[in-house]
Amino acid sequence: MNNEGYILSTDHLDVGYESRTVIEGVDIQALKGQTICLIGPNGAGKSTILRTLTGMLSPVNGCVYIGKNDVCRMKSADRAKKLAVVLTEKLNLNMTSAYEVTAMGRIPYTGFFGRLSDEDKKIIEECLRTVGAWELRNRDYKSLSDGEKQKVMIARALAQRPELIVLDEPTSHLDIKHKIEVVRILNRLALETGLTVILALHDIDIAVKFCQIVLMVKDGKIVAQGRPEDIVRRDTVDRLYGIEEGAFYDSILGSVEICNEARPEIFVTAGAGCGIPVYRLVSRLGFGIATGILAQNDIDYAVASAMKLTAVSARSFQPIGEEQIRQAWRYMESCRFVIDTGFPVGQENKENAKLLGHAAGCGKTIFSLRDPGESAEICGRGADIIYVSSMAELSGRLQEEAGRLSES
Amino acid sequence: MKNMTKTRTAAGRMLLFCILLGGLFLIFLLNVGVGSANISVGEIFQILAGKVDVTDSRYLIIYRIRIPRALASAAGGAALAVAGFLLQTFFANPIVEPYVLGISSGSSLFVGLVLLGGITFGARSVSPMFLFAGAFFGAMLVMIIVIIAARKVKSIVTLLIIGMMAGYVCSAATSIMTAFAERESLQMFTMWSLGSFAGFTWNQVGLLYAIVLPMILLSFLLAKPLNALNLGDRYAESMGINVRLARYALILISSVLTAVVTAFAGPVSFIGLAVPHICRILFNTSDSRILIPAAAVGGGLMAGFCDFTARNILSPVELPLGAITAVIGAPLVVYLLVKRGDL
Repeated sequence: MNNEGYILSTDHLDVGYESRTVIEGVDIQALKGQTICLIGPNGAGKSTILRTLTGMLSPVNGCVYIGKNDVCRMKSADRAKKLAVVLTEKLNLNMTSAYEVTAMGRIPYTGFFGRLSDEDKKIIEECLRTVGAWELRNRDYKSLSDGEKQKVMIARALAQRPELIVLDEPTSHLDIKHKIEVVRILNRLALETGLTVILALHDIDIAVKFCQIVLMVKDGKIVAQGRPEDIVRRDTVDRLYGIEEGAFYDSILGSVEICNEARPEIFVTAGAGCGIPVYRLVSRLGFGIATGILAQNDIDYAVASAMKLTAVSARSFQPIGEEQIRQAWRYMESCRFVIDTGFPVGQENKENAKLLGHAAGCGKTIFSLRDPGESAEICGRGADIIYVSSMAELSGRLQEEAGRLSES
Repeated sequence: MKNMTKTRTAAGRMLLFCILLGGLFLIFLLNVGVGSANISVGEIFQILAGKVDVTDSRYLIIYRIRIPRALASAAGGAALAVAGFLLQTFFANPIVEPYVLGISSGSSLFVGLVLLGGITFGARSVSPMFLFAGAFFGAMLVMIIVIIAARKVKSIVTLLIIGMMAGYVCSAATSIMTAFAERESLQMFTMWSLGSFAGFTWNQVGLLYAIVLPMILLSFLLAKPLNALNLGDRYAESMGINVRLARYALILISSVLTAVVTAFAGPVSFIGLAVPHICRILFNTSDSRILIPAAAVGGGLMAGFCDFTARNILSPVELPLGAITAVIGAPLVVYLLVKRGDL
């Protein structure tokens, strides 16, 4: 087969244990500097694929090539100079400094007793600096935080001076700061030094934003493969993880939203992103939401539909029509409260301001996040407005009012 | 305590190593000089230099009894400590010692067969070399079982359990034999099982060194794979280490080391457990390149010290060596661990 130019390539590869195939037809052709990510539910076989790619597990059928060499036939010492791994297993290391752990990466190059040359020491320093862990070099590995440990393990892998690094869920157990740091380090290495990165990730939002190629693994198959922009859509992700109810993936923002299909009790007037925090807050409190009137190109609309809220929407770049206004009135009249998110009022959404005036006319209680003067102007004199200045206050007042209403 | 990262410099480690080496030499002189007949350092050197008549009683005491014994304790302690260190790394478990794989039980079984069976079935006396052969054979037999098991099972814990179970079976067989044994042979067997470096002849010392020294040198060659194994099998493999080969070599070396000491001196417990720990904590490292020589010298020192104590503390009664190693080793390990905060 022609595997010219590929850092890693597969040929009719089925992976599994002994003769039991776990995943059929794995087709990965990794170029220099590419970042390739496997995503999929727990137990889908991501680790099995990675273990096969690194030669730790023999393929059931087919072959894995590192450059032009069959990974299973390579001498392990040669392989170690091309390919480094970061595994999920926790290390039980005592009395070993971060520097010493990183220095282990030079094992494929050092002599019989593992004595470090000046060249080795230079590389170790460089690798520790690359991951931003040079300051940790004298710390006991055991005393480091999970994020710091992961950075040191990446430095160790880099010290092998590989063309390809394979990481199994390098961001799980890490806090958000370290998650992003780890991903940025890998991304920079791929772009600047041409390192090829193959990894399994849990966080689909990170995978989409960081990887050039995504493979979706489910039920013994690669269900989709390609550029994340092409294949990571709401339907594919929801199917991949078997998300049927409760949460939905928003492909524009690359995030998962918890859905709220309760009967609307609160009408939220929104727009230009002012609605998103309110949707999430009100959902958390357990109220159903209706919202509007949103242009379909509004970011609030993207989140509202991922959350499955009752939303009145107008086509993108089209003025709001009569039909939508009547629909919004109907929803609003059936709701207990109205929340004005303080969205900017302009030419295209001036109907929303009128909507608030209508709410005041119907005697609805309006919670307003808007400046009081402006609010009074929009809703009209004598409106029942509760001014809140923060989300915390909104949450408190909303519960208070709801409690009073259910008592009476 | 968690964050205590006292790093030792290379010079500091060298100094520490020299102190251990000096201690080993000192304890050797003490072991040769002190006893029911005290002999000064000057006299020792005179005797060693051959300036004293060979029929002099002091010459006989030193040359026939004390020097072989001191040499044996140094080599035996070194062998046990290195074997303990190798196995602790192999099992990634700090409470492992050389006898954990059932090696001592295998030895006991065959020594039992020789001592109890032999005398009961009419042999007048048992030659020390025959005893050695039996003990060595028993230890190697258990070791072979463990190595065959290592080929089959992947889990290290399972291997550990197999070793322990093999040990139990051997112990059971031994205790059945003691039930049928005669009193005289039973006492000999009991004495052997308490462990002692007494009664070494020059031939035995020669054989001991001929086996122990090359094995310790071989273990140096394993330093690099051993360091890689600290990261676990998979990482070691990913860095090009032949883990399988390293494992066999490790079991082989540690078993031979343990077998040869057990064969000559009986099961001497605790040195193999305590010394690697003490060295790790003293040198504050897990680097095998430092710890193997440190454990070898430290083991020799500790065995020499324990033997010295066993001989002299309640002189003329000589205490069982195993009791002394445990009494000194156990509190030392606990103290160092508590002081350091964690393992």
